[in-house]
Amino acid sequence: MAGGAREVLTLQLGHFAGFVGAHWWNQQDAALDRSGDAKEPPGELCPDVLFRTGRTLHGQETYTPRLILMDLKGSLSSLREEGGPYRDRQLDAAIAWQGKLTTHKEELDPKNPYLQDLLSAEGVLSSDGVWRVKSIPKGKGPPPVTAAKPVIPLEGGVRVWSDFLRVHLHPRSICMIHKYNHEGEAGRLEAFGQGESVLKEPGYLEMLEDRLHFYVEECDYLQGFQILCDLHDGFSGVGAKAAELLQDEYSGRGIMTWGLLPAPYNLGEPQKNIYRLLNTTFGLVHLAAHSSLVCPLSLGGSLGLRPERPVSFPHLRYDATLPFHCSAILATALDTLTAPYRLHCAPVSMAHLADMLSCAGKKVVTAGASIPFPLGPGQSLPDTLMQFGGATPWTPLSACGDPCGTRCFAQSVVLRGVDRACHTSQLPPGTPLPSPLHACTTGEDVLAQYLELQEPRALSSSHLLRSPCSVAPPYPHLFSSCSQQAVDSIPVFGALCSSSSLHRTLAGLARELTKLDLRRWASFMDAGVELDDVQELLQDLHSLAQCYQEGDGLTD
Amino acid sequence: MQPRETTAPLPLPTAGRNRRAAAALWGSGQGLRGARPRGQGAGPRGVAAESAPPEGRERQRRPNSRAHVSAGSLHKRPRLVSGAGDIKLTKDGNVLLREMQIQHPTASLIAKVATAQDDITGDGTTSNVLIIGELLKQADLYISEGLHPRIIAEGFEAAKIKALEVLEKVKVGKEMKREILLDVARTSLRTKVRADLADVLTKAVVDSVLAIRRPGYPIDLFMIEIMEMKHKSETDTKLIRGLVLDHGARHPDMKKRVEDAFILTCNVSLEYEKTEVNSGFFYKTAEEKEKLVKAERKFIEDRVQKIIDLKDKVCDKSSKGFVVINQKGIDPFSLDTLAKHGIVALRRAKRRNMERLSLACGGIAVNSLEDLSVDCLGHAGLVYEHTLGEEKFTFIEDCINPRSVTLLVKGPNKHTLTQTKDALRDGLRAIKNAIEDGLEQPTLGQSKSEALNSVWVSHMGGKNPGCVVPGAGAVEVAIAEALIKYKRKIKGGARLGVQAFADALLIIPKVLAQNSGYDLQETLVKVQAEHVESKQLVGVDLNTGEPMVAEDARVWDNYCVKKQLLHSCTAIATNLLLVDEIMRAGMSSLKG
Repeated sequence: MAGGAREVLTLQLGHFAGFVGAHWWNQQDAALDRSGDAKEPPGELCPDVLFRTGRTLHGQETYTPRLILMDLKGSLSSLREEGGPYRDRQLDAAIAWQGKLTTHKEELDPKNPYLQDLLSAEGVLSSDGVWRVKSIPKGKGPPPVTAAKPVIPLEGGVRVWSDFLRVHLHPRSICMIHKYNHEGEAGRLEAFGQGESVLKEPGYLEMLEDRLHFYVEECDYLQGFQILCDLHDGFSGVGAKAAELLQDEYSGRGIMTWGLLPAPYNLGEPQKNIYRLLNTTFGLVHLAAHSSLVCPLSLGGSLGLRPERPVSFPHLRYDATLPFHCSAILATALDTLTAPYRLHCAPVSMAHLADMLSCAGKKVVTAGASIPFPLGPGQSLPDTLMQFGGATPWTPLSACGDPCGTRCFAQSVVLRGVDRACHTSQLPPGTPLPSPLHACTTGEDVLAQYLELQEPRALSSSHLLRSPCSVAPPYPHLFSSCSQQAVDSIPVFGALCSSSSLHRTLAGLARELTKLDLRRWASFMDAGVELDDVQELLQDLHSLAQCYQEGDGLTD
Repeated sequence: MQPRETTAPLPLPTAGRNRRAAAALWGSGQGLRGARPRGQGAGPRGVAAESAPPEGRERQRRPNSRAHVSAGSLHKRPRLVSGAGDIKLTKDGNVLLREMQIQHPTASLIAKVATAQDDITGDGTTSNVLIIGELLKQADLYISEGLHPRIIAEGFEAAKIKALEVLEKVKVGKEMKREILLDVARTSLRTKVRADLADVLTKAVVDSVLAIRRPGYPIDLFMIEIMEMKHKSETDTKLIRGLVLDHGARHPDMKKRVEDAFILTCNVSLEYEKTEVNSGFFYKTAEEKEKLVKAERKFIEDRVQKIIDLKDKVCDKSSKGFVVINQKGIDPFSLDTLAKHGIVALRRAKRRNMERLSLACGGIAVNSLEDLSVDCLGHAGLVYEHTLGEEKFTFIEDCINPRSVTLLVKGPNKHTLTQTKDALRDGLRAIKNAIEDGLEQPTLGQSKSEALNSVWVSHMGGKNPGCVVPGAGAVEVAIAEALIKYKRKIKGGARLGVQAFADALLIIPKVLAQNSGYDLQETLVKVQAEHVESKQLVGVDLNTGEPMVAEDARVWDNYCVKKQLLHSCTAIATNLLLVDEIMRAGMSSLKG
């Protein structure tokens, strides 16, 4: 479509993935608004990569995420499956039945004040029942919320991701899995096998294929898929099956998988904990087999059974028990990490990025990010980078423990939101240079040089972007340093890194799995996983962990 | 006859021994009751109304029982509105059960069985729930008087075996001509959508199955594509003897309408993509890179040229059209080249459509362009594109002897489309069942499809002996009658189990009568009397409330649906009864 953007289709599988996704789309939407307002030259990130232009039956232009999301029955709350600009109230009311009608109406889920505010600000259902948007979302964006104090969604008021979603979704985006319940005790999607079997059913499979087809067919230069997938519940199985399908159907395209885990878990529920471990392990191994790159994302300290403290950020205060907060941080990281394949000019294609990071079967990578990047006033980039000293500048986001003392094989680093003026050192000529970084003439060089210093043996690629990450509301207010004024964008430093810490993590998972007596968890096995599968899984896990072994005799 | 239950209005569960099961059932019953399809032939079949409802059906039912007060009158159809305002309109028990959030384990078990019934046979969901509920209710009467559930279960088992024998006797083997298939489909569809729509769908469904049926092979319903189009009204739903694809050509210069066209189906990538895995270009200068890219590009251009050559060869300046349908992608450059040569090209066809394409238009789907020849090409009389908003549809019609067809579902909104689609699926299944029920049952160790294959091939030779059973509750009345006679041969308490089973089955004609607005006891007694007198299979006429001979009224049900019903209902009811007994034993031992 527009300008030959290399399109990417996003799949969001699971409820936490929905949270992360909702934050991410909000952030992108906010970035769109800003670039439109200031009449700047188009930003560095090309929105057409993830969004698509469409047209409703009434000829209204739409700009919606190129997205397929799956969630369980009862998880949408006030969001309609077929909503937004594509609605037509008049036609919806037409009923194909002549006789009397009994209406069984669920209590209308109240829209929270935030959503109501949003609704009134941007569009009206005109009297003939056709949705009219006051302004075209693309370019101009919805009119800035003129109210003196925009309503910010309350942390307590957010139960599901649709409570704070700003963007409209295309009617083909939402796939509901009616077989399982979102809430309640019965009918949960809790095991990997259940998830796999969902996509073995012809009904759901056809639904997914149809939607894939709809989005993919219109793409001229599809570069790949990104899968946001919950790892802790049965959605890991859905993700594994979906990745397999994509690999079969669209060979040669990149498949980036982000395995998401909500941070804390309760030791009080041993069954849930065991299930989480099993699902995560099964998910990781199967996803690694079928996608180009897999990256677990979590604010938790470890993937294993024993909980560790959630990670902390030097400049953030967040509540690890709130998915609303955790997902916001992960979304910010995602927005930064995925930048290389979303660039306007000279993008690195998804497949290339994956190739670079995953040499010799190292398909699992870790992520890290420094949110916000602590660029003090008056400081230049070299100054800030030198401040870190030898320590890793970013907080690990993959639940693989402290990256200290581990080796990095390959990394892709993105720094965004740093003003061009600060890129290089502004020291008056003649002053002795505090570090070699200060001698570099461009920001790109500074970054490359820094990475070279940090990880001399790693294959590094770096990107330096001027546009910051947008954190306008409904992004939660997490910043401790500048608590007074509202921040609407921050610099972020993120890295994807194939690190030897994965050896420890993956081997640890294998160890814990071996110790488990799986016959005790018969209900997990009932769902279609057999003991042989577990053996095979362990094999795969061991060989995957082997890839990350340090000191294989060649280097040391 | 056993008059007791016909006079007793659904009793509320008393403090009987089987309290838990009863309470559980009641809990589920409430849940189901609230949303149970009320209407003509809810679940079980009544006579399909040919005309507008007569006044008789509008009259108020006598509020003679507590449970019935909440019941809607005839033709009420539940509309479900979700918390976000999404609408679902349905009378199909299966759809309702899937929509409901059922938390109670017993209720959820019953619901699962019912939906499994639908998965296997495509029908009978509501009957399933009704019969299981009624079996438990009848059992509760005896258990509260001190009969052990195990003995009831024995009775159920004996009754089931007898009932299956009766079913075997009453089934009607017929040659499945179009007329009788129409009757079967109509009976099924009338319970799911309104009458005029049902008639439209009936014809479409029967004709589509007849179109894809090949003597000597089992019917493959996958060869009927169901395509939805948000357009016009639901009565515009029709059968397309060809294929409808939900995408179109992606080039502005390609023709929107091609007549007398060759169709090339292929699975060949026509887009320039970087070669897979770790083989980036190695180049030193910009020119060198350019050259490499060009060489890569040339590879794709050669493929496109092969298609163009073939087109020039077969069309040879005639006015014939040429359409390429590719499963893989086609990039804009290739599209441009193809458009210049007057070729219409569709990319990214669905995998499942590839097989259908060659069945509909003939030709073979090719995986490589190396040995393209005229033999690979299919043919269609008319190919045209239809645009709706951002969606495009490509119609491939006028095919010679298509063996794959499309049911094009139309409707103004999503819930209408879904409703029509669900109905079509059930209709298709009903016809398939009717045709295939005529076959001998698979022997042990042989899968159904194997058995079908061998039987089809060896015996049929082009004839279509199918098998159906009379609907409108006639079968249930007949079985109940037979069971009452049979129970005298049973000794001991199990006799009561047989009695309970017979009584439970009568819920079907009772609900039929009730939902049409008649007095259920009066109707039931009349039907039973008529059955005994005439020795024919008599059911309820929903238009008049009078007994009628189901066969004459052309109300047919599927044999396999009834059979499955008897099996699964007995199994589940028995299990629930026994589980309850075990639980109770456990509870008392805990207390003591």
